[in-house]
Amino acid sequence: MSLLETRSITKSFGALTAVNGVSLAIEAGSLHSIIGPNGAGKTTLFNLLTGTFPPTSGRIIFDQMEITGTPASRIAHLGLARSYQRTTVFPAFSLFDNVWVSSFSRSKRSGLAWRNANTYPEVAERANQALRDVGLENKSKQLAREISHGEQRQLELAIALAAAPRVLLLDEPAAGLSPEETRKMVALVRALKGRYTIVLIEHKMDIIMSVSDRISVMHFGSLIAEGTPAEIQKNPEVRRAYLGGVAV
Amino acid sequence: MKRPLIWILISILLLPLVVRPAIASEIWIFAIFGLGANLLLGYSGLLSFGQSTFFGSAAYVAGWLMKIHGVNAFLALGIGVGVGAASAAVVGYLCVQRSGLYFIMLTFALNQLFYFTAYQWTSVTGGEDGMPGVPRPEFPGIDFKDPVVYYALVSFLFLISLFLMRKIVESPLGRILQAIRENEVRAEAVGYNVPRFKLLAFVIGGAFSGLAGVLYAMLFGIVPLEAISFVFSGNVVFATLIGGSGSLYGPVIGSFVFIWLSESMSTVWARWPLLLGVAFVLVVLFLRGGVVEAWHKLFLRFSKR
Amino acid sequence: MLYALMGLGLSLITGILNIPNFAHGALFAVGAYFLVSCALFMGNFWVALVVAPIGVALLGLVIEYAGIRRLYAAGHDYQLLFTFGLALILSESIILVWGPIGSSYLPPDVLRGGADLGFTMYPKYRLFVMVAAGLLVFATWLFLEKTRYGAIMRAGIENKEMVSLLGIDIKMLFTVAFGLGAYLAGIAGALIAPIRGLNPGMGPDMLGIAFVVVALGGLGNLLGAIAAGLIIGIAQALVAAYWTEASTVVIYAVMAVILLVRPQGLFGIR
Repeated sequence: MSLLETRSITKSFGALTAVNGVSLAIEAGSLHSIIGPNGAGKTTLFNLLTGTFPPTSGRIIFDQMEITGTPASRIAHLGLARSYQRTTVFPAFSLFDNVWVSSFSRSKRSGLAWRNANTYPEVAERANQALRDVGLENKSKQLAREISHGEQRQLELAIALAAAPRVLLLDEPAAGLSPEETRKMVALVRALKGRYTIVLIEHKMDIIMSVSDRISVMHFGSLIAEGTPAEIQKNPEVRRAYLGGVAV
Repeated sequence: MKRPLIWILISILLLPLVVRPAIASEIWIFAIFGLGANLLLGYSGLLSFGQSTFFGSAAYVAGWLMKIHGVNAFLALGIGVGVGAASAAVVGYLCVQRSGLYFIMLTFALNQLFYFTAYQWTSVTGGEDGMPGVPRPEFPGIDFKDPVVYYALVSFLFLISLFLMRKIVESPLGRILQAIRENEVRAEAVGYNVPRFKLLAFVIGGAFSGLAGVLYAMLFGIVPLEAISFVFSGNVVFATLIGGSGSLYGPVIGSFVFIWLSESMSTVWARWPLLLGVAFVLVVLFLRGGVVEAWHKLFLRFSKR
Repeated sequence: MLYALMGLGLSLITGILNIPNFAHGALFAVGAYFLVSCALFMGNFWVALVVAPIGVALLGLVIEYAGIRRLYAAGHDYQLLFTFGLALILSESIILVWGPIGSSYLPPDVLRGGADLGFTMYPKYRLFVMVAAGLLVFATWLFLEKTRYGAIMRAGIENKEMVSLLGIDIKMLFTVAFGLGAYLAGIAGALIAPIRGLNPGMGPDMLGIAFVVVALGGLGNLLGAIAAGLIIGIAQALVAAYWTEASTVVIYAVMAVILLVRPQGLFGIR
């Protein structure tokens, strides 16, 4: 049974249709990648899934519940977490506080305005675990704006993890990373497989091919192909859409 | 953190020896006002240019209730807090949907709405002349008309406000508001209903402003029209910024600076707002990275965020 | 109509420079005072009408160059404090130079008295102001829509980075924009002097209204500012006819209601 589904989802901005009748089914526990040339509508699709804006038409179903049009702040509580293509963290906060904020969001908020923030052990534990998962636990006291870009991408992921989600939506986690950093990121994603249902957007084909269970290909807002990595590699439509760049 | 608290306690004790008790009271009252304003400005990143709306509304309502209906002054203080919070809820509700320049302009325009209402509604507010005859609290055996006694009340309430604000700032709410300041989009994505939290910040800030407003009216025995004017809003923004918006105690320092500046200037020259304007401009142009930052860093060394 | 002028100027400044210009009202007041002084000095209203706004514009250019320019990266709070301090300086200076009482000033003979419009008598000067302001708004609109520099300005509202990447001097653009905004405020002040007289409080009063206009019209939305200015002006005139004291309050109340219903203003884009 698919955990996350879109049914013919469409998003238009005036005359521009960014996402056109996309129907996807993501199986629980799988790693499902979405690829496509720039401007194919992948990030817009993510925005729809996370409630950044509602679709023009179509439906989104999560765990058999209708979540079409649910606003972003509620989506996080349902168990979908996202990391962003352009690093967007809390710059003046320490790494720990960065993940703490995310972790707290999912806990019972008793004493919101008067208990000292450091007195929530479960929240702190979940936050620390998220930092451990991405390998940043040694730097938990450093400020987010002081760490390197690669480490910020890791933090980006940690913030999503700290929310104890069931589904992780990762938008180009390896964006702007050096080959070494990319290797670490891939290992990280692989380690997360199975614990979470993952939907991944990436441009680096080697990553996609090596970690994905299923791949969906978007082009100009529509879904043009879907299948296992092996099937996609052989697909002539996909080759045509990519025009040079499908690394095998 | 103990050390700033000790400094504050010392200042509370010594201040009336250095300046007139009335001025000392004014400083702490303004500090309460500043604490409330800074929750919005420094912690939440909301540049509300209409804080005097809550300050003044509370003062007017409490003053009127005490004068016309003989409401007990202590009760009036509580009502002031409520009015401050309620007016902030209204303003906040209208404003939190917008951000940036829109937000600033809206808070200002709503401030003007309240201002002009107060200006025109002379039967209740006295218009330009203000609302005189605001009484001090009464309690058997204690004479609050004595400036020193009133000062004691004000300092006590200030300490309570400081304590409360510190709790809030160190609570998860404090962190959430700062997260909203740092990255509103991410804060929402992570699961916080941002407009609702902003509104909450408004209401809390408004409550503090309301308390300050009533104390102010009781101090001077009158609710002046200025208390609800945008100039007053600007003053508290200035005080907060010059003290350092990043820390809890910043507005307290700023309050000292501002009241000292305005009191010393106003006795010298009727046109002292000009100098105040010059002070604002100079601070922004030259001190912004300089003295204030240095002050700030110095201060951060013995207080934590 | 005048509200449209003020709104347009402020919208331009907030849209392009992205700063809260709390001095806009003060610039308006300065325009009015300059007009009267120039007119008295030169003995001629028309010359003064031309000269005074230019004076305000120059003041605006100086302000931008000397002060605002340094603050673009500073954040709204400092910009606000700066323009607010400026407003204080300007209004207090007005009191210093011209005295705290305020005065009235009569329009030139040609425009005194009423004009017979057929269905009613209407003060000639007010007609003149409406026409003049209308022409100015139109001229500004033409400049912005039809000329190359105007197009650059509008592009600047949309996307500053793009404009500077195109090799256009963005700093100069900002200065000119501020100067133009100041000019519009100044001439609005100059025009209104014979109607409402001079009064040191006129700056802050107008500032609030200008903000309302821009908020309703949409920041940077120039046509929206014009339309909102007109609507508010008409609304206020209507209310003033029935309930004079409340006319200012009503403007703000109406704004509050509109924003409740449509947070983006009448014409703003969400």
